[in-house]
Order: sequence, then structure tokens, then C-alpha cells
Amino acid sequence: MVPPVQVSPLIKTARWSALLIGLIYGKQRYDYLKPIAAEEKRIEEEEKKLREEQERIYKQLSEGLSDTLI
Amino acid sequence: MAQAVQKFVAKVPTLVGAAVNYSKPRLATFWYYARVELVPPTPAEIPKAISGVQDLLKGFQSGRLGQTTVRDALRNGLVATEVLMWFYIGEIIGKRGLIGYDV
Repeated sequence: MVPPVQVSPLIKTARWSALLIGLIYGKQRYDYLKPIAAEEKRIEEEEKKLREEQERIYKQLSEGLSDTLI
Repeated sequence: MAQAVQKFVAKVPTLVGAAVNYSKPRLATFWYYARVELVPPTPAEIPKAISGVQDLLKGFQSGRLGQTTVRDALRNGLVATEVLMWFYIGEIIGKRGLIGYDV
């Protein structure tokens, strides 16, 4: 087997510090995006409720109209 | 259907044994190389890394880096790309998801 190559210290430090920085960056970005997404979900829920309410009213009205259309 | 499931469940120990037998020598080769090549730098090596960065800067200022051959430049580019990929792997671990942020 080929003997393992001795990696230069510069490359080793660069690799593992890139790993660490990536870890920190991923965690911070996740923490930043989570409340924003929760807020958007909440707004979406409210708008959906509003829309469904309006559709219900519309349906009831249209049923009422179709009852009187002879 | 139930018979097929039973036959499969009976075969699982042999499958697991076969998988272990297959992976043991390959795992050994992996460890043989990883123990030397993929270990983090010891505290003694960090000053060497810093002096390596200074050497790079000096070479850039003196114009020596303009003399690198295309072959060396490609090799260094590949090494730099590999270091960049470690950053993305760290980001995957930090956001705890493979693709995209799970918010």
C-alpha cells in the first residue's frame, strides 16, 4: 500500500478551521432564519383563516340565492 | 406476502454478517490513511501554519507566485477547493440538515 502522505500544517489548519467556521455560520444562520419563518407561518395561518371565512360566507350567500332562483 | 417478509427477516443476520465482513478491511484501510492525513493540527503545528501563510504572502508580494507552473496552479486550486468543501460540510452539520434550512 502507498504510505500515507504527510499533509502540510497549513492545509490541516485551513481544513479544520474551515469546518469550525462553517459550523458556526450554519448554526447562526439557522438561528436567524427560524423566527422569520415562524412569523411568516403565523401570518399565513391568519390569512388562510380569513380567506376560509370569506369563502364560507360567499358559499352561504350563493346557496341562499340559488334557493330563491326558481 | 407474509412468507416473503419472513424469508427476508430470516436472511437479515447473514446480510449483516456479510456487510461487516465486506467493510472491515476497507474500514481498516480508511483508518490507516485517516489517522495520518485527516487528523486536526496539533498545537505545535499552528505556528508552522501561520508561517506558511506568511510565506504565501511574501511570495505573492515578491511576484514569485507568478512563476508557478499551470500544473502546480491546478493542484493548488484543487487543494483550495477541498478546503472550501470542508466549510460547506461544517455548515451542513451546523444547520442540522442536508439540503436547506429546516425552519
